[in-house]
Amino acid sequence: MVSRYRAALLALIALMAFTALSSAQDVPTLRYFTWEVAQRGPEGEAAERALLDECAAEIGINVELESLVTPDFFQRVSALAAAGDLPDVFGVSSGTIDEWAADGLLLNIQKYVDRDIKPIQDKYFTGPFSTARYPKPDGDMFAFPYAIIHTVLWYNMDAFDAAGVPYPSEDGWTWDEFLAAAQALTVDKDDDGRIDQYGFWLYRGRYAQIEPWVYQNNGDLLNATKTRFEPDDNAIAALKFLTSLVTEYKVAPPPSEFAGFRMQDVFPLGYAAMWVDGNWQIANTRSQHADNPDISFRFAAAPIPRGTNWVKDVAYGWADMFGIAADTPYPDQAWELIKCLTGPRRTVQLSFAGKIPVWRATAESEEWLELDKLPPNKSFLLDWAQFIGPTTYTPGWSEWRGYADGAGLEGLIDAVLEGDLEFADMLSQATEKANSVLTRLYPEG
Amino acid sequence: MRHYHPITPYLFIGPMIGGLLLFRIGPIFASFLMSFTNWNIRTNPTWIGLANYQELLSSDVFWLVLRNTFVFVLTYVPGAMILGLLMALLVNQKLRGIAFFRGLYFMPFITSMVAVALAWNWIFSTRYGVLNGILTTFFGVQRGPAWLSDTNLTLWVLIVVSIWKSAGFQMMVFLAGLQGIPQNIIEAARIDGANRLQMFRHIVLPLLSPVTFFVLIVSIIDAFKTFEVTYTMTQGGPRGSSSTLAYFIYQNAFVYQRMGYASSIAYVLVLLIAIVTIANFWVRRYWVAQQVN
Repeated sequence: MVSRYRAALLALIALMAFTALSSAQDVPTLRYFTWEVAQRGPEGEAAERALLDECAAEIGINVELESLVTPDFFQRVSALAAAGDLPDVFGVSSGTIDEWAADGLLLNIQKYVDRDIKPIQDKYFTGPFSTARYPKPDGDMFAFPYAIIHTVLWYNMDAFDAAGVPYPSEDGWTWDEFLAAAQALTVDKDDDGRIDQYGFWLYRGRYAQIEPWVYQNNGDLLNATKTRFEPDDNAIAALKFLTSLVTEYKVAPPPSEFAGFRMQDVFPLGYAAMWVDGNWQIANTRSQHADNPDISFRFAAAPIPRGTNWVKDVAYGWADMFGIAADTPYPDQAWELIKCLTGPRRTVQLSFAGKIPVWRATAESEEWLELDKLPPNKSFLLDWAQFIGPTTYTPGWSEWRGYADGAGLEGLIDAVLEGDLEFADMLSQATEKANSVLTRLYPEG
Repeated sequence: MRHYHPITPYLFIGPMIGGLLLFRIGPIFASFLMSFTNWNIRTNPTWIGLANYQELLSSDVFWLVLRNTFVFVLTYVPGAMILGLLMALLVNQKLRGIAFFRGLYFMPFITSMVAVALAWNWIFSTRYGVLNGILTTFFGVQRGPAWLSDTNLTLWVLIVVSIWKSAGFQMMVFLAGLQGIPQNIIEAARIDGANRLQMFRHIVLPLLSPVTFFVLIVSIIDAFKTFEVTYTMTQGGPRGSSSTLAYFIYQNAFVYQRMGYASSIAYVLVLLIAIVTIANFWVRRYWVAQQVN
């Protein structure tokens, strides 16, 4: 009888020991979903996996990586949210964070930021942290930035030299100075009656090419609460100036002239001497020049020209971020993973060319500044980042703005550039269209 | 003869029926219910009654897209069918190497739409496109049209590309139909002195009418559902001028994340396809030759 009890006791102890052992080995597996890796290609993915392995070993977790390019990423992550199957850590866009936070899908990470980041915040570029807050401007943080994005004026240094035009000042050009340069840079090189190089390239009403001019003219497209499309006089003046570059001064082509081209290739291929777009365009310009060495040229970045009502420099910028699913079973580990992915371990090789890492030491390193590569003044991108101001992001932004499909405001500005619509009509139609979307989302205004 | 339990056949078809109910019929009913909701995918839907349908009917964009869809259907369907039939007549010959040409004409149908879009984008490119190059070189046109960004042209570009891409499929079906026509009837007509046009008009076309009817129905449904070519070439632009219903559904569902609204558009599309298909079945008695045993 006793031996039977003893056997049962031994079996129980063995079972407990086995359970304890297996639970000790039960390492949590976190899912990490981002658009960034897919955009960096196979080499980028291998490097990111190596970083994940390091982080995972340090935290004591496993990490499954999944990546899709945008806009597929956003469709997939929305579907995952619908299925209640959000990854533990995933990429969050500045354009959608308010909606996602309002929908209760993102974990409030303010306590983690207060605990771990605040004491060492001088090691980060904290400017874009405001993008991660909900509600704006003083709410808690619902995501953590890993890269700073902004828009600058890109210019072809060789074209400037050939035309005898001085480079744009890093203190900022006026609109008149910009226009004079654009006129000098608009050239019919072979006298066949067709412009071979335009002074400027403006693609439809693309957000990254419109808003920077509005903000540099002390204007805004939205009302103070960002619930209605109400462009003020300064914004209207900026839009008028921009459209006049195509319709009146002819220093920029109507977008239809380059239909069949990717909009981001017109400047790198030398068809325009200047354009305004994101700091991430470095990657494409370099890659186009690597593929077409015969048309490569020196290029650099400059501030967006100041409008006639300029008061102070305002850069149109935002942040790419990581968020944590509100229902993750591993919030602490997810936060540790984000800290690891956004800190010193995210080296220059693990960053998309041009985007500024939030870890200050990485961004300010000679390796990131790439003094031996173009553009020669990459440090300007860091300087310009300190002026990052507001954005036009609202719920329904994609719909009223025309991001991804060229409808909305973007399409209407395109109609003006193509001579199909008067400026005043564009403004009234854009107001009606945008506010029909915003009224649906903000009935109270 | 061995007898099976009456339930046995159902066990065999059960998995297929189950899959059909779960992945086809179920979503069809679910999306009907969804069309009465406001749903952004991420959160729970809220019931809003007929509001989506009301918004749809009062939307200028919807009417533009609907008009585009009808223009597409009314030009693509006859275009693809006529071209497909002509190609079928051309390759319905006993010539050496004819299989190669049949394969060649069929090739666009099985080519990836992304590759097709890239090629046609270069053909239609305003500044360096092949087409405008031809217009400039041979016809002295100084500045060719902006095929891909002129609101009056883009839909027609998509129609041309769609016809080019799918005519190979129509060709194959017509070819099968042509080869099913009894040769003795053709021979009899030839002996009676009928010329080629008369034989085509009075023998081939009537005997081909069941196949023509099939191609017509498939082409109409294809045209109403056209999506890939729009997505890869123009994204519905500029300003909705080349958007059609299927693309409009995608845009609202996955770009704007308005699943309820997109579902209501989907049901308009279902209704249109149903009406046109039923009408076709109704009128077929007047032109489709009935098989006589």
